[in-house]
Amino acid sequence: MSDQNIAFESPATKLQQILGGNLTSGMLTFGLVVVLCVLPLFVGGSWMFSLGICFANSIGVLAVSTLVRYGGEVSIGHGFFAAIGAYSVAVLDTRYGLSILVSLPLALTLGVASGVLFAWPSRKLSGIYLAVSTMALALAVPEMINNADGLTGGYEGLYVSQPAIAGIKMSFQRYYAALIVLIAVVYALARLRQSRQGLTLLLSKAHPAAADAFGTRKDWARIVVMGISGGIAALCGAMLGFAGSTVSPSGFTLWASIFLLVGSVVSFYGLTLVRALVGGAFLTLIPQFLSASGAWIPVLYGLALLGVILFGHYLPRIKDRIAERKGGLT
Amino acid sequence: MNVAVKALKGEEISLSFGGIKVLQGLDVEFRAGEITGLIGPNGAGKTSLFNCLTGAYSPQSGSITYAGDVLDGLSPAARATKGIVRSFQHVALSPDLTVLENVMVGVARNFHAGWVHAFLPTLRARNEQAAMRASAMDALQELGLAKVADKFPTELPPGMQRLVEIARAIVGKPDVLLLDEPAAGLNNSETRDLMRSLKNLAATDLVMVVVEHDMDLVMSICDRIYVLNFGEIVACGSPQQVRNNDDVVRIYLGSDDD
Repeated sequence: MSDQNIAFESPATKLQQILGGNLTSGMLTFGLVVVLCVLPLFVGGSWMFSLGICFANSIGVLAVSTLVRYGGEVSIGHGFFAAIGAYSVAVLDTRYGLSILVSLPLALTLGVASGVLFAWPSRKLSGIYLAVSTMALALAVPEMINNADGLTGGYEGLYVSQPAIAGIKMSFQRYYAALIVLIAVVYALARLRQSRQGLTLLLSKAHPAAADAFGTRKDWARIVVMGISGGIAALCGAMLGFAGSTVSPSGFTLWASIFLLVGSVVSFYGLTLVRALVGGAFLTLIPQFLSASGAWIPVLYGLALLGVILFGHYLPRIKDRIAERKGGLT
Repeated sequence: MNVAVKALKGEEISLSFGGIKVLQGLDVEFRAGEITGLIGPNGAGKTSLFNCLTGAYSPQSGSITYAGDVLDGLSPAARATKGIVRSFQHVALSPDLTVLENVMVGVARNFHAGWVHAFLPTLRARNEQAAMRASAMDALQELGLAKVADKFPTELPPGMQRLVEIARAIVGKPDVLLLDEPAAGLNNSETRDLMRSLKNLAATDLVMVVVEHDMDLVMSICDRIYVLNFGEIVACGSPQQVRNNDDVVRIYLGSDDD
């Protein structure tokens, strides 16, 4: 195969590479993006608000899934990084009148830096030990925010009101900003999968010694993955703040971190748009659907969770059965 | 004119785990342009010596140099950037990557586009990925694996997985290539193809060291052979000299009468 053959791919192949997966799933994703783009024309403000939060949570789900996929590790403390992103947006908005266009890059930078700072001392930890150490972050967040009330607004929190673009209705901005950032994160992760760095990180996850022998240090890989994951989680927090319009410590408790992990699990750690939205929907839309169920909410939520996990678990076998039957019929 | 030959040298290398002496003051020299074999019974210290040469183990004493540069204290990753690569006794491929992508990792150290290019569709990123793919495809073709480039390692038989690992080792045009049991799990036809490929590689300015139990392969392709037993060098010489060495026959090869 020559360089030219590779450099000039067909548009169909390009689309496939951009969206990830095979061409059918690529087209499905493209269709989904189109639907999500025009949806505000057909649904009311409360739905737009909920979907904006759902998109933001989907970004958080991607953050945890990135850690699992590229690092082979689980976090129950990503609410910490989300809080950093959320308060970056809220503090700059409230105290300095700066819009999310300015605060979003800062949130990303601080998220990446926090991920790296956390990963450096814990780079030798793995499995349950790393998971528990991330939990320490999640436990500390609400208290840290409350104690810095001069900056963070303490228990009452802060209100995010600055528009990204003046003159456009805020409800539209909150919806589309979260959607755009979600698509950008999915796209960036699809690019990472194709890149030199992505390939070496995946080898390092499976065989650290082999990756080391080809120039990728295990410690470096672990720190980098946590940095990327922390950055994405900070984007999640930033969009939660912007799309939800308020930022308070109650949004970043240990439970918030645990639910990000739950979203990642029900999405089967997928890094595609569809999978991320499934995870995000579990954090946002399912509780909303069940809100009329009163005391049965936790039970129904648990059943839904179990149903999705079992369905995902048996889906490959179901597909195989269907394929076998089709083969038998022909 | 006397032209100095590049060589990977180990002087007085000793390694022990607890009270067990794995390597006992070994002096070895692996020269560019030659294929050097490293043979010996199980537990002789062959893979431990590999691990010392690549930096996975730090010997308690002795020194390792390549082309005059001291490698002591350098990590495996740092040695890889100097062109010293290896394959593994137990196949170490990523199940998340296709065969082609696994081989691309072997050439990744030769490219340097930064993180911005990892996340964005820049021209440099596209060119880098295209070049990596082309190099990986060439290496796969060299070993007759082009047809399985898009498969995942778990879809391949063990022998083919090992060939993929060798493709990953050679794709980056290394200066030093250390192959740990490259023919393990290969059938006769695959072993013959591998022998031909390794001979072709040896024509270049390359230090190649092969740990192998397949004596046909070792005797056919190696220019020199070290024989190890209990962490010591029992013999060193041409295949013919090693074959005729009484100690080697007694310890490892066995006589025709056996």
